[in-house]
Amino acid sequence: MTGSFAAANRVAIVGYAQSEIRRHAPRSLGALTLETARRAIADAGLAVGQIDGFTTGALFPSSGAHAIADGVTTVTSNWLAQHLGVNPRWAAGFQGFGQIPGSVAMAVNAVASGAADYVLLHRALHNPRASYHANPMAEARDTQQWVVPQGYFGPLAMIALPYMEYLQRFGAKREAMAAVLVEARRNGARIPWSHWHDRPLTAEEYLAAPELVDPICRYDCDIPVDGAAVFVFTSADRARDLPHRPVYVSGYSFGSPTTWRLPTHWPLDDIMTTGFETARRLWEHAGIGPGDVDLPQVYDGFSPFVWFWLEVLGFCPVGEAHRFVEDGGIDSDRPGALPALSGGGALGNGRMHGVPQMLECYLQLSRRAGARQRGQASVGVACHSSPHFGGAVVYSAQPN
Amino acid sequence: MTPPRRPVPVPDERSAPYWAAAADGLLVIARCSRCRAFSHPPDVTCPHCGHTDPAFVFEPVSGRGIVRTWTVVRQSFLAGFEDDLPFVLVDVELAEQPDLRIVGRLVDGPEVGLRVGDPVVVSFEQVAEGVAVPSFALAGDR
Repeated sequence: MTGSFAAANRVAIVGYAQSEIRRHAPRSLGALTLETARRAIADAGLAVGQIDGFTTGALFPSSGAHAIADGVTTVTSNWLAQHLGVNPRWAAGFQGFGQIPGSVAMAVNAVASGAADYVLLHRALHNPRASYHANPMAEARDTQQWVVPQGYFGPLAMIALPYMEYLQRFGAKREAMAAVLVEARRNGARIPWSHWHDRPLTAEEYLAAPELVDPICRYDCDIPVDGAAVFVFTSADRARDLPHRPVYVSGYSFGSPTTWRLPTHWPLDDIMTTGFETARRLWEHAGIGPGDVDLPQVYDGFSPFVWFWLEVLGFCPVGEAHRFVEDGGIDSDRPGALPALSGGGALGNGRMHGVPQMLECYLQLSRRAGARQRGQASVGVACHSSPHFGGAVVYSAQPN
Repeated sequence: MTPPRRPVPVPDERSAPYWAAAADGLLVIARCSRCRAFSHPPDVTCPHCGHTDPAFVFEPVSGRGIVRTWTVVRQSFLAGFEDDLPFVLVDVELAEQPDLRIVGRLVDGPEVGLRVGDPVVVSFEQVAEGVAVPSFALAGDR
């Protein structure tokens, strides 16, 4: 059995739309997503009636006590199809972590198999008015009973533990993370729709922020926002008749650790061991290696993920990402450096999950990045979530 | 108005022996009756041998282990911890089995100059009448 992708470069992104990313949108998430979907379909040169497939990853990634309401706190594929007035041949949602690569894989598979001809992929993220992660529970049941009574709760503690483990194991300092934040926010500041447009961050500002859950401070976490992004997929053959230069999907991969843990327990060895397998599969699926990539976009919903992804993907040796980044290794303004956060990431745009990574690959490879266009990038990688639970997609500017 | 108390565990069919032992100041860990491997917490199947009827039995353990990593919580997203901030959470590998991990509070507090590999021993926090939660303390032989 070979791990190469039989449908490599046979399906392409042919259009997109990205909403404004704001702390609180002036309209409901459903309305924002519907408007963004209509713009994406028009951008692709299509009519609404031509869309016959829908997919998303609809997770609302909060540990707070918020009710889940379709069209309000989240938007599912079926909600969007219904509100566009489409009865699609295929609609589905991705259940796992890494919602963006997960739903991209589903969209590509649907087009390649003929389940649908034109697939809409959307991601809608909501920031509730009440505190995002605060939870007033007085009783801890089910899996919560094993962690909540001792105050072990939420995604900050989840990432703080492996981040501390990394610092201790490799003699790294959290001061080295300033380079990640400065890079993400500088690039985000150049993006008109970003929450952080025109608002870069200095290393001094980063280091002045108090730690919340050591070594994590507020700037290490992407800020919760309202926002929606929509992409249109079709076959490489149909893409030839559409207005924009297609961006092809060469392959994808995911991680799924076999060691069972409590949901917030992410030991560093789990992340790295399964992460290396995620990367190995990715290169095999797409038939390329890290040396072929000129536009890597690593995930950064929490800043330590940047170090973890750089290492598992082989862009720097294990234990050295902190030095690599501190020495300007991902400075996208420096010729020869790896532009790993040129799209601003989640830290530089707001909590859009893996959308900024995917969007940067699309915009640069389709030559639609405008003033931010970085020459003629040919191969992009868009990562999402942790290397052990998330995934990545390889994009190509050429069909072969 | 009294401040909210810390959340209390609600024992269920599978976890009841664990919480009953904790209330008596004893750390017990689920052990598969088929392969004898420990699991914390017990899953619906045995994560080691895959048995679908592992018939887990909670057995007393030494309560000794080493710190694999830690964090200092300075802002809690849970109610009831206000008076405890800041507090340390340690990810402890128990002595009984490689990678048998349990995360708990370190009662010594954040100013102890913690290092990976520091030995700890279990202790218990009384959080309500008849309810105790396992935590850890630095062991004397550090």
